[in-house]
Amino acid sequence: MKITFLPYFIRQAMANIFNNRLVHLIGVGTMAIAFLIFDAFILIFLNLNYWSEERGKLLTMSVYFREEPERIVLEDIEKELLYFPGVTIKGFISKDDAMESLRRQLGNKAGLLDGLRENPLPASLEIILSRDKGGNSLPYQLKTRLEGIDIVDEVQYSEEWIERFQAIMEAVKIIGMVLGGLLFLAALFIITNTIKLTIYSRRDEIEILKLVGATNRFVKIPFLIEGSIQGFLGGSVALVILFLIYMIFITRVDLIIGFASLDIIFLPAQFIYFLLLMSIIVGFVGSTISLGRFFRV
Amino acid sequence: MIQLFHVYKAFGSNNPALIDVSLTVRKGEFVFITGPSGAGKTTLLKIIFCAERATSGQALVNGRNLNRIQDRELAYLRREIGVVFQDFKLLPRRNVFENVALALEITGFPLSVIRKRVHQTLRYLGLANKEGYYPPQLSGGEQQRVALARAIINNPLILLADEPTGNLDPDLTMEIMALLREIHTRGTMVIVATHSQELLRDTRRRIVTLNKGRIV
Ligand SMILES: Nc1ncnc2c1ncn2[C@@H]1O[C@H](COP(=O)(O)OP(=O)(O)OP(=O)(O)O)[C@@H](O)[C@H]1O
Ligand SMILES: [Mg+2]
Repeated sequence: MKITFLPYFIRQAMANIFNNRLVHLIGVGTMAIAFLIFDAFILIFLNLNYWSEERGKLLTMSVYFREEPERIVLEDIEKELLYFPGVTIKGFISKDDAMESLRRQLGNKAGLLDGLRENPLPASLEIILSRDKGGNSLPYQLKTRLEGIDIVDEVQYSEEWIERFQAIMEAVKIIGMVLGGLLFLAALFIITNTIKLTIYSRRDEIEILKLVGATNRFVKIPFLIEGSIQGFLGGSVALVILFLIYMIFITRVDLIIGFASLDIIFLPAQFIYFLLLMSIIVGFVGSTISLGRFFRV
Repeated sequence: MIQLFHVYKAFGSNNPALIDVSLTVRKGEFVFITGPSGAGKTTLLKIIFCAERATSGQALVNGRNLNRIQDRELAYLRREIGVVFQDFKLLPRRNVFENVALALEITGFPLSVIRKRVHQTLRYLGLANKEGYYPPQLSGGEQQRVALARAIINNPLILLADEPTGNLDPDLTMEIMALLREIHTRGTMVIVATHSQELLRDTRRRIVTLNKGRIV
């Protein structure tokens, strides 16, 4: 393709958009709706993922003692624990505290405990680990370390529920990808049809161009540029609308709850670039598909 | 050079529009194709610039076999053929200048050259003051001349004119015919399709007559 054509193609695409403002407006509007659904889905998915990551970052660990530890021993252990990054002490539960809470849990069946001669429940120290700061190996590290101390009987932490949660998130991710793919195809379908409308409204022009000796490529390129511009505009409008909805939504939530308790994030910059690029690609591919159908006739 | 060998053209199951048409037109010739309405004149021209493909038979134009022509080559062939369509085929939403410039833009000439050539050609056809007009604002004769301008701006080897004087008064008819003769003297092969016997009365040019799709 000769480079001298480029200004012509761009001029042509711009003129066509201007001359067919209404068709283009409808096209951009339809695309914006399709992209909006897609973008909103990604935003929701992103937030779900973000929340789950936040949750998954924290882990509770219980350190059980053989006997009620002395205050000094306990303070030493706490001091040592705090050397590790990402460790917070939730609190100490003495044997009595443990019995008290068990009684409370049993409610009216608490009488069962009366027969016990001595309190069998161990005292424990509850700590919270942040995986973010401490790293993934922190729980295991701490466990071996603490179990080395004489007075410590056992260290337990609940990895199980995290694993289960992660499994659920994996499933959500797969469902998300499938749904996202379907939405993407739906958007492509809608866009292909809108572009077909644009092309159809100019079939006379295409015919004449062909009859005076334009190559197929020459006829198609302005349409491809138009489609890409249309995709870009549709994608941009969708993102702007999504942002407005997001703003309205978070202020509403804040008003109802009274403070920003829910941490809802908007699409990060890379996602915005990616979605814009994708809308351009969808516009381009959409026009290629509809042109293909048109030129086969 | 145009060579047609036993060309048939059928649209669906109707009576064929062309039946066993064989015809040779040499470089620089001037030929009239005539016959009553529906005889197949337009169809014959369409076969030549490959707007329609022959149902059977062979068509060769400027050495190219139209049965086997590829998109790119077809585009180049069409640049060697100027066509004045029976219904003009002007773009109503582009002005006269743009309509004529179209035929040059597709070949990739720079804008300055396109401007110069379009001005020249429009002046030649007496349309210099109509450049900014849109086709619906022009008379039938003026539209016909715009179509002619677009057909000749590329200096084609072949000019096909389908009823180029279709709805013109006698004066304008003479004027257009004079233009076609002038284009012919510059070395262009000219084929004029017309059902007007008037136009053929005094000519000594070659006349091909079609009737119900057959050459008679
Ligand atoms: N696209 C088409 N589909 C179906 N039939 C067609 C088509 N084009 C032409 N025909 C038929 O082919 C025959 C020849 O048509 P054509 O246009 O070649 O006639 P013509 O000689 O140019 O007539 P006119 O002098 O009225 O322009 C007619 O019967 C017409 O109905
Ligand atoms: Mg005709």
